[in-house]
Amino acid sequence: MKFKSIWIPICLSCSILLAGCTKEAKSDVGLPEDTQVNIRSDMEEVPKDNEDTVIKEAQKELFAMDTYMTLSAYGDSAQAAVDDAAAEIERLDQLLSTGDAASEIAKLNESGSAVLSEDGGYLVERALELYEDTAGAFDIAVYPIMEEWGFTTQEYQVPSDERIEELLKLTQADEIKYDEKSREISFGIDGMKIDLGGIAKGYTSARIMDIYKQHGIESGLVNLGGNVQTMGHKTDGSSWRVAVQSPDESEEYLGILDVNDKAVITSGGYERYFEENGVSYHHIIDPSDGHPADSGLISVTIVSADGTLADGLSTSLFIMGKEKAAAYWADHSEEFDAILEAEDGTLYITEGIEEEFVSEHPMEILRKDAR
Amino acid sequence: MNKKDGILGLCVTGAALLMFFLMGMNKAEDADQVRITVDGETYGIYSLEEDQEIEIQHEGNHNKIRIESGKAYMEEADCPDEYCIDQGEIHTRTQTIVCLPHKLVVEVINENDKKEEAIDAIAK
Repeated sequence: MKFKSIWIPICLSCSILLAGCTKEAKSDVGLPEDTQVNIRSDMEEVPKDNEDTVIKEAQKELFAMDTYMTLSAYGDSAQAAVDDAAAEIERLDQLLSTGDAASEIAKLNESGSAVLSEDGGYLVERALELYEDTAGAFDIAVYPIMEEWGFTTQEYQVPSDERIEELLKLTQADEIKYDEKSREISFGIDGMKIDLGGIAKGYTSARIMDIYKQHGIESGLVNLGGNVQTMGHKTDGSSWRVAVQSPDESEEYLGILDVNDKAVITSGGYERYFEENGVSYHHIIDPSDGHPADSGLISVTIVSADGTLADGLSTSLFIMGKEKAAAYWADHSEEFDAILEAEDGTLYITEGIEEEFVSEHPMEILRKDAR
Repeated sequence: MNKKDGILGLCVTGAALLMFFLMGMNKAEDADQVRITVDGETYGIYSLEEDQEIEIQHEGNHNKIRIESGKAYMEEADCPDEYCIDQGEIHTRTQTIVCLPHKLVVEVINENDKKEEAIDAIAK
């Protein structure tokens, strides 16, 4: 008797659940194909489920900082927000690019001293802090060695040991003299050069979040060539889903991370590399020996509310290797979380994102208390 | 009474299952595609279901994209770094191949994906 009457609620809830899917599937067809024009800047009105209010959406795609970028924002001022964000990207690109002879960094590298802009000064300050904090793993003065390997021009070569020894004398960020008040910078050794590329994109995405906030945007995502930063939740209230690229081409992703209000930045040797005599050389140079880092880690992802920090730490922890990276995290666990992949495919996940990260890889959770 | 409850229950479940399968059929029809854009302009949209090669000549630049077994890859490019060729095969939504020197982007799209399963971005 009782058994049978249970059927009604069960069946009803089944049908409600299943019908719910249909409704959502229908509302997803809301974006017409022909409005998806590229370097686009089109406004789309996305109907929000169960409400009459319409959330405005704006998208923009552009090429800058030697990469391909996509910006999206949701809210009344979405269009103005992405337009201002694109203008900010262009401005920072011109200011910070080492490849552009007119940029303040290129001029500084040429002459050995300069008075920096506010942005340039802030980045040098952060970079020098990170240099101290990571015991030299993050070093903006490694640029002359990057040039020697050809990673700046794509005219790749393996430098001789003598040449690397010579250039290592120049790659010491502690020889950078910087005055925070006057923003005057000079190099202690002739021939030193810096590159802010290791934190410039993270800083740019953080700046875009500021611009979004000024426009009252509460939901948005920017993807600066794989450097991702998210604001708030998606318009349906769920978290942003950010996949982490796998160094292994035969695999779709390392895993998927649910995030809100955070930057997700990955570094891996697969991003840029060249081969010579059957040996592969990647672009993440260890400032301590001038060679591509060979720390046993093949991919490092940093998750942090601070985009600049996330960018700088992704390369730093890659260079440090698993043990040092885990120790560094334990000392700074309030500031970021990390996903480390070792050569054998094992993932090490810091406990702060244990619940948010899903992967089919064998995983080990790094806990502060366990140390 | 209880018998009627049972019948009603079965009907509702049956209707729900039917809707579920119909949705599944719809989904199968909406195959993944790639959208190719050159310097911001959409060049074309191609189904990943259909093996084909797409030759692009734009302002003296040459690229050849091949679609094979549901995957797209850059087969030829006369850009200086050929980095686009190194980027390998793409087949899931939001994956891209970018040829920076030619400002060419190949992106997998499927507007009919269920949002809760879709990826919003790939960190790389």
